[in-house]
Amino acid sequence: MSDPRLAVDFCGLKFHTPLVLLSGCVGFGEEYTRVEGFSNRDAGAVCLKGTTGTARPGNAPHRVCETPGGMLNAIGLQNPGVDQVISSILPQLDFEETRFIANVSGSTLEEYEEVTRKFDDSPVDAIEINISCPNVKEGGVAFGNDPDMSARVVEICRKATDKPLITKLSPNQTDIAYNAKRCIEAGTDGLAVINTLMGMAIDIESRSPVIGNNQGGLSGPAIKPIALLKVHQVYQVAREHSIPIIGQGGITSAEDALEFLIAGASVVGIGTALFYDPLICSKINAGILDYLECQQLAEVGQITGSLRLNESSSPKCGG
Amino acid sequence: MKHPQQRNSICLEDAEILSHHAYPGDQHILRLQAPRCAARAKPGQFVHLTVDPQRPMRRPISIMRACADDGWIDLLYKRVGEGTALLAARTTGEYLSTLGPIGQPFRIKEKRPLLIGGGVGMPPMVFVAESLKNSEHQPMVILGSEAPFPFTARPSSILLPGIPDGVIAAMPLLDDWGVPCRLASQQQMPGVHQGYVTDLARHWLNALEAQARQEVGLYACGPHPMLEAVVELAREFALPVQVSLEEFMACGVGGCAGCSVEVQTENGPAMQRVCVDGPVFDGYQVFN
Ligand SMILES: Cc1cc2nc3c(=O)[nH]c(=O)nc-3n(C[C@H](O)[C@H](O)[C@H](O)COP(=O)(O)OP(=O)(O)OC[C@H]3O[C@@H](n4cnc5c(N)ncnc54)[C@H](O)[C@@H]3O)c2cc1C
Ligand SMILES: Cc1cc2nc3c(=O)[nH]c(=O)nc-3n(C[C@H](O)[C@H](O)[C@H](O)COP(=O)(O)O)c2cc1C
Ligand code: FES
Repeated sequence: MSDPRLAVDFCGLKFHTPLVLLSGCVGFGEEYTRVEGFSNRDAGAVCLKGTTGTARPGNAPHRVCETPGGMLNAIGLQNPGVDQVISSILPQLDFEETRFIANVSGSTLEEYEEVTRKFDDSPVDAIEINISCPNVKEGGVAFGNDPDMSARVVEICRKATDKPLITKLSPNQTDIAYNAKRCIEAGTDGLAVINTLMGMAIDIESRSPVIGNNQGGLSGPAIKPIALLKVHQVYQVAREHSIPIIGQGGITSAEDALEFLIAGASVVGIGTALFYDPLICSKINAGILDYLECQQLAEVGQITGSLRLNESSSPKCGG
Repeated sequence: MKHPQQRNSICLEDAEILSHHAYPGDQHILRLQAPRCAARAKPGQFVHLTVDPQRPMRRPISIMRACADDGWIDLLYKRVGEGTALLAARTTGEYLSTLGPIGQPFRIKEKRPLLIGGGVGMPPMVFVAESLKNSEHQPMVILGSEAPFPFTARPSSILLPGIPDGVIAAMPLLDDWGVPCRLASQQQMPGVHQGYVTDLARHWLNALEAQARQEVGLYACGPHPMLEAVVELAREFALPVQVSLEEFMACGVGGCAGCSVEVQTENGPAMQRVCVDGPVFDGYQVFN
């Protein structure tokens, strides 16, 4: 059993560690258990792959490629559709091991509503709405970059479920804190910050983009500083309403995870780092415990938002 | 059912480099001490390697040989880009994070498997051949390469009807195992058929008695156009065929759907992951 000091209450759910396996990186929850030594118990929760109203085949290859300090992906939300997920996949998951969070996507408000309503009537512990997927033509990030639309999606999903509702925010927008505020007012229980940033890689021989979809979402250590700042900004709004944050973007070590907690995250997401090291979670948990011990803290919750800003900061100046 | 059988089928090991040899044409043979992988590996499976901490996304490489008793695996790879260049710089005594064995292996069903490997698609075929030596199967191996072969070819001690005169060069390892083998290349090389692997395969198939020909199944790994030609050949002779595919990968364990390709199944087109649903697929499902 994991150490009680690692346990966190997130939207009323008990997570036995502050790690969340991120949507799109661990399939529908069982895939990584192929690796000897991996256990879903090392995570407080596992977010399932983005799910839509009907099955989606996803994008043409290539869907992934490595870039400095990270990778691009344009999977295109390949998934078997919500009915199939509920009837064939959820019954295979072991809810004793961890919490499972559904991840909802759609191209219309009605689709978000329908998928959320169906998951409401399923065993998942919580529902995350992804209004920030950069890899589908309609919906996704188009909703997420417009605060009015974001709020409408949240509002309609809120009505469709009593389960904890988490909204995943896009970093591809000017004022993420304002968007967060609108989502909170529309009834979200938690926020996930951040999804991938849009990017491109070009093969100079063929002069074509490496990714079949031309552009893709950038993840991994390359986005960490951006993600940290966004978590810090969103936390300023979220803490007033006691809305917890799943901080994510480029975390590959306990030190990275601690930075996100200090910036204001209640729990942290692990995605791309699993591709580097499938057994990273137990190492990050151990590192966080070491820190608690050194800092003589009783629990992870005491780290959240403990940032001490420098006095002489000038928020608008980068140069 | 909770906890499907696939659980714990893949091992993560820090594998010591036991030897690392360079061959002409930017080819390298790497021997890794990876005992848990070696104990489970089956022909057609691959490992997902961290080539260098600077490039932490792993690279998939097929397993060419595995020795369960001594705990090593052999890989043959070609330097094609940054990742494989970094790998080529790693030296004996260093460690590589090795995730494997991964994927669906070749499932050899017929009495006379015809194994066709092109370029760095040779390794799985060598592994299949080794697994079939001293078995009731009678494999035949055809290897093709445009770069010099990463071994010193020698005249085969095994006679083969139907093969053009003078095409006598073979891979010594296969010859020692008593597995018949011939080589093909567009380049001029002594004892090597100048042309395609599928030309040699056709010669061999045509020379078989009708009865024996029906006992053949084709197995192939190599560049996409070669796989397509092998499936065409199989179709021509109405024989079963399995092919091993490549696609860019992220996780390598079925989690990201980054490696999905479209295949035709009985229920229509379906997306399948090269890493865990493949890399070996029914050839007719891939090319139709
Ligand atoms: C199942 C499988 C087995 C393989 N077995 C072998 C083998 O035995 N020997 C061998 O030499 N090569 C093999 N390959 C191909 C090998 O993985 C690539 O050549 C290698 O990843 C190239 O990396 P790079 O950084 O040098 O090339 P770059 O072109 O710089 O790579 C850029 C990105 O593209 C990816 N990529 C490029 N080409 C391929 C490819 N053909 N397949 C998959 N990903 C690719 C890389 O992983 C990387 O993310 C195999 C591929 C697969 C999928
Ligand atoms: C291959 C891949 C697929 C993803 N698919 C989804 C998805 O379906 N839904 C979603 O909300 N986020 C998806 N994401 C975004 C991740 O959940 C995460 O927010 C992002 O990768 C940043 O974290 P990281 O740098 O730790 O990976 C995906 C990311 C990757 C790398
Ligand atoms: S590489 Fe991630 S599913 Fe195949």
